[in-house]
Amino acid sequence: MKRKLSTLLVVLLVTALMLVACSTDTPAAEAPAETPDPVEEPAEGLSGEIHVYTRDATSGTREAFEGGIGFDKDEETLTASAVETSGNGDMASKVGNDVNGIGYVSLTTDFAANNLKPLNFEGVEPTIENVLSDDYSLKRPFSYVTRAAGDFESDEAEALTRAFIAFITESEEGLSAVDGAGGIVDLSSAKPWSEVAETVDGFDPATDYSGITLRTRGSTSVDKTLKAALEAFQAEVAFEFNMDHTGSGDGFKRVLGEEKDGANAGDIGFASRKFGDNETVSDGMLSGEYCQDAVVVVVESSNPLSEITQQQIHDIIVGQLTTWEEL
Amino acid sequence: MDSKHHLISEAYQRRKKGWDKFFKGLFWLAGFISAIFIILIIVFIVRKGIGPFLPSYPGGAYPIGKFLTGFQWRQDSAIYGVAFIVINTIISALGALLISFPISVLTALFITKIAPRSLSRIMTTIVELLAAIPSVVYGVFAAGVIVRWVDSLAAMAGFSTYGGNSLLAVSILLAIMVFPTMTSLAIVAINAVPRELVEGSLALGATTTQTNFRVVLTSAKSGIFAGLILGLGRAFGEATAVSMVAGNSMIGPTFNPFNITRTLTSTMLAGLKETQGLDYDIRFSVGIILMAVILVTNLGIHFVKDRIGRSMS
Repeated sequence: MKRKLSTLLVVLLVTALMLVACSTDTPAAEAPAETPDPVEEPAEGLSGEIHVYTRDATSGTREAFEGGIGFDKDEETLTASAVETSGNGDMASKVGNDVNGIGYVSLTTDFAANNLKPLNFEGVEPTIENVLSDDYSLKRPFSYVTRAAGDFESDEAEALTRAFIAFITESEEGLSAVDGAGGIVDLSSAKPWSEVAETVDGFDPATDYSGITLRTRGSTSVDKTLKAALEAFQAEVAFEFNMDHTGSGDGFKRVLGEEKDGANAGDIGFASRKFGDNETVSDGMLSGEYCQDAVVVVVESSNPLSEITQQQIHDIIVGQLTTWEEL
Repeated sequence: MDSKHHLISEAYQRRKKGWDKFFKGLFWLAGFISAIFIILIIVFIVRKGIGPFLPSYPGGAYPIGKFLTGFQWRQDSAIYGVAFIVINTIISALGALLISFPISVLTALFITKIAPRSLSRIMTTIVELLAAIPSVVYGVFAAGVIVRWVDSLAAMAGFSTYGGNSLLAVSILLAIMVFPTMTSLAIVAINAVPRELVEGSLALGATTTQTNFRVVLTSAKSGIFAGLILGLGRAFGEATAVSMVAGNSMIGPTFNPFNITRTLTSTMLAGLKETQGLDYDIRFSVGIILMAVILVTNLGIHFVKDRIGRSMS
């Protein structure tokens, strides 16, 4: 009898637990339907604390973002209440789930899929056209410079360098490789590589370049786009490459500067910024920009905010502006 | 006849002893290999982890006092203080155990003593299935579902969360993850309790419930606590899933369950693939701290186990 009673008790307990579980489940299940309410109510003016999301300190996007908003890493510190995310996708999904969140993602992110609203920066909409036309300023160029003409290891190396620069800046194959790796390029004027190849001085597709190693140096941020382009170029021309990227400062130095004949010398140097005035890139055989990297300030899609200025986002990042009312 | 028998027996004996020696050696080798791995890992982690505090470290030693007592972890300003992270790690793991331990022990009792055989078989399979789910899958579930629960719970309590990423989300996630480990071990322990003990208790007039709590659970104590230790180990050691919902706060400790937190493992994992120099090497130092925390808590649990046994018997 006792045993039966306790069995009954346990069954009751389990049922009760299940009911509790169900009732805690209900708000969760209804959450998508319910949350828009409290979210849309303050649509006229969101109130409360601003939740700042950032990337870890090694992120190239973070570097581009902080550079673009005039945040001085050595003088200022990021607000200590910021959430650190582990990647672009992580940042996108976390800000998209937080009504009070503000963060930054690369322009190639799918905003709608992540429930994000991209903000106009200094009144300019973040679009590929605006980035390419230089109107949108929260961006940085990926610049390149080659060794001086005649200063290469061999004529073949010089011709191959010339060909690769033409490939990455003019050809459909090169531009779409960069595009696929997240770089922003203008694909409209691209031509097939077979056409571009004919215009390159001293380059002959029939020559065997397989013994030549193209050495790239400089910015670590260009890694992804550059590697994609180099691999796409290998599909056209047989050659070897060696990427040893240590930072934008070394891009010029190891190609035209003091380390150009050192152990770390390279054929093409890269910087994830414009080259400075003291970096005399005009000495190089070729120099320019092969793509743009743009960062977009984002908020959750129901956030009424649609514009942000450099000053505002800077103040939010350093923790001087902490509530939405102040915006 | 006698000498012949003796001859055969000697050859047989030699062969038998030979095999015996061979297998003995094999066991020694197996033991040696597993021991050497533990030693290798500890030596490697300690050597790498101590490096940043030695004067010979390139770029200058990081002050060890600041590391052990610091309440800030800011890679961007090269401030590495691990004290609040240790507190956060312990709080989140204890929170997980607080949720999970009673549920798993009661589930184990239910499966072994109360449920009808067919149901108990189904339940056992469910527990085993839960144990087999990879941690990253739990992480995705936590990042997609648990954070929403926490967010709506916080909204009811009048808090605003970072999209649900919080200490509470970490604890709930860990509670689900350690549940199968603890339950399985508790089931094994309860099944090992001699029938005579249970029958004796019932014969003396104790009810089933009294027997279950006073006799079965106390007798199964050792196994249940072994499960607790393994569960705690998993709670401390889980990195992937925890990183997905912790939020990685830069200051702490975090006591508000709706606030973001940072655990030792999520600290080691964040940005690991892209970093270098001090920021990379100091993760090994965090590894030493993590091993120390696990060791100390395990000793603590052993202590508690002995106390419970004494007070109950």
